[in-house]
Amino acid sequence: MAKAPILGLFETADNAADAGDALKAAGVPQTDYDFLTDTPYPEGAFGERHEGHRLYIFPFVGALIGLTVGVMLTSMTSMAYPLVQGGKPIMSLPPMAVVTYESTMLTAIIFTIIGIIFESRLPAFKQGLYDTRITEGYIGVLANVEEDQLTSTQTLLTQAGAIDVVRNSGGPGA
Amino acid sequence: MAATEPKGHGHHAGMWVFPDASAMSQDVSAKTLSMPKPFTLALMVTGALFILGIVGFIGRAATDGFDEMAPWGYYMAIFSWIFMISSAAPLAAVAFRFTKSHWRRPLSRVAELFAVVGILNLLMFIPMMFLLPGLGNPGGVVEGQLELRRTIWFEGPIGAPHAWDVLAVASLAVTSMVILLLSAMPDMAESRGTATGFRGWVYNRIAGGWYGTKRQWNAQKAGLALLGAFYFMMIIFVHFVISSEYAQSLIPGWKDSIFPVIYSVTSIQMGLGTCLIVLFIMRRWGGYEGYVGKSTFWSASKVMLGVTLLWAYHLFAFFITFWYGRLEVEQNIIKYLIVESYGIIFLLNLVFSFIAPFVLLIWNPVRRSAWGPALAGLFAIFGGLMFSIRIFVGSANAAKGDEIYAFFLEHVPAPAYPDVWDVFMVIGGIGAAAFVYLASTKLFPLLSLWEVKEGTLYQKWRKFIRGEYLVLGKPE
Repeated sequence: MAKAPILGLFETADNAADAGDALKAAGVPQTDYDFLTDTPYPEGAFGERHEGHRLYIFPFVGALIGLTVGVMLTSMTSMAYPLVQGGKPIMSLPPMAVVTYESTMLTAIIFTIIGIIFESRLPAFKQGLYDTRITEGYIGVLANVEEDQLTSTQTLLTQAGAIDVVRNSGGPGA
Repeated sequence: MAATEPKGHGHHAGMWVFPDASAMSQDVSAKTLSMPKPFTLALMVTGALFILGIVGFIGRAATDGFDEMAPWGYYMAIFSWIFMISSAAPLAAVAFRFTKSHWRRPLSRVAELFAVVGILNLLMFIPMMFLLPGLGNPGGVVEGQLELRRTIWFEGPIGAPHAWDVLAVASLAVTSMVILLLSAMPDMAESRGTATGFRGWVYNRIAGGWYGTKRQWNAQKAGLALLGAFYFMMIIFVHFVISSEYAQSLIPGWKDSIFPVIYSVTSIQMGLGTCLIVLFIMRRWGGYEGYVGKSTFWSASKVMLGVTLLWAYHLFAFFITFWYGRLEVEQNIIKYLIVESYGIIFLLNLVFSFIAPFVLLIWNPVRRSAWGPALAGLFAIFGGLMFSIRIFVGSANAAKGDEIYAFFLEHVPAPAYPDVWDVFMVIGGIGAAAFVYLASTKLFPLLSLWEVKEGTLYQKWRKFIRGEYLVLGKPE
């Protein structure tokens, strides 16, 4: 059976955390529900799972590529056009550092931007389940549950203090 | 007003504000959409100045073309002035986010919005690429070697200097723009359903997939931290490139490791100063007094004072080395840029970049006010304008033709006075930057909503014994 999203709206963070506890107790896997907020809450405030990311790998890979390109470009240019400047060796590190630094930074930044897009799962082409009251400080608890569990989940969210529960097709996924 | 009365005791009265998070989005959104008369007037005036600047640019190009750098000295100066502000202002958002300072929250978006001015800067940089002379002197071969200009590129790797200069300036502009978009994404997502026209199109394209999930907040936080770190690493490098490429390398024999640092310090002082001016205007006339407490000015003013002192230290370090070294080239450079040719401009630079802000900011009551740090900021940006004119007009006019490849400056050139096209370009450049910034405030909220809301989670006004005090939460 397909999963469907359901969104509970809570006035207080405490109630939202209670809803998270209730979903967990009801056997909903932690990967299937999430908290939607208009501002970042501190880690673990809702008793939610730790959300890891691999963003740091992206700039590292980018920097390595940029460093390699920079070193190759400068050393090959020096070898192709062997101009002696101020009696310094043809292949010397200080002049290579400027271009190498710039190319390293450039690719690290580009890869970071790609990483942010990837890790944020953006752009999301499908319109998700959302309620504009979240922008007013309400906290959304979004769960993806089996379609036959929608009614019981709605009851569970209401019992935890949801002021409203929204259901429709589609959703950003938890 | 989505805020309570400002709090604070005695000297600290009105220091802290506690905005109402639930009404904030609606209130700020209404402010973003509104077009009050003074704002419209400011937009029209700056727009007219922008046009004046374009006229000046066309006039200069038609009169002198792009073969010689000297006639474009004032253009370089106004480019540098805008660049120094627009590149350093986003650093204020980045740096104080690193330090997790709560007082920075109303300042973040004000600072980040200068990224849009950075795009204008990038466009202004294009003509400067045509003006920059090549590394080698096509007409001069000395003892079998090509005569080279003294630059940071040494033997000249492929693309140097032009391609690497453009890449440097472009990468800084793009990075600051991505920081702005990433930071503004949650705020744009709030209004994507209600915004119409161009604003609606932009919000839905950029923030259409933002839902505020834990993963997204984590990625945004890490992304801002990483890009912020790279921005910091890039800005110093690009300042180094601009200050050495368009100043030092154009004055034969000017070798100075302190000058790029003075350039960066002046830029940081101006960037922070400009942010404080914008914050003051927002607070005084923009209806944001409930969001911007005096604590922001108070805290930023201490950084401003520190940077002002750093400016004086680096200037002295630069001067004393040249003055005591007494090489002919160093004496000529001092006479040219500091004592004789541009002596009056230097004096104005010294007064407005150091003496005036220093005298103002040493007083605690002034630092605790909103107007004091903003006035110091105004002084700093005027001082920075004098700095840019002194350095870049001076550099563009120091050596003509092949003289640029000489070993050292053998004489003290006369100052270059502005003509009508120069005046148009300088005033127009200031107007253009202001126009672009003002226009961008109608697209992006001037307040980082998610950040100010986050601040309300961690800042409370609580009773302690007989008094009431600010209690700060530090989750990390």
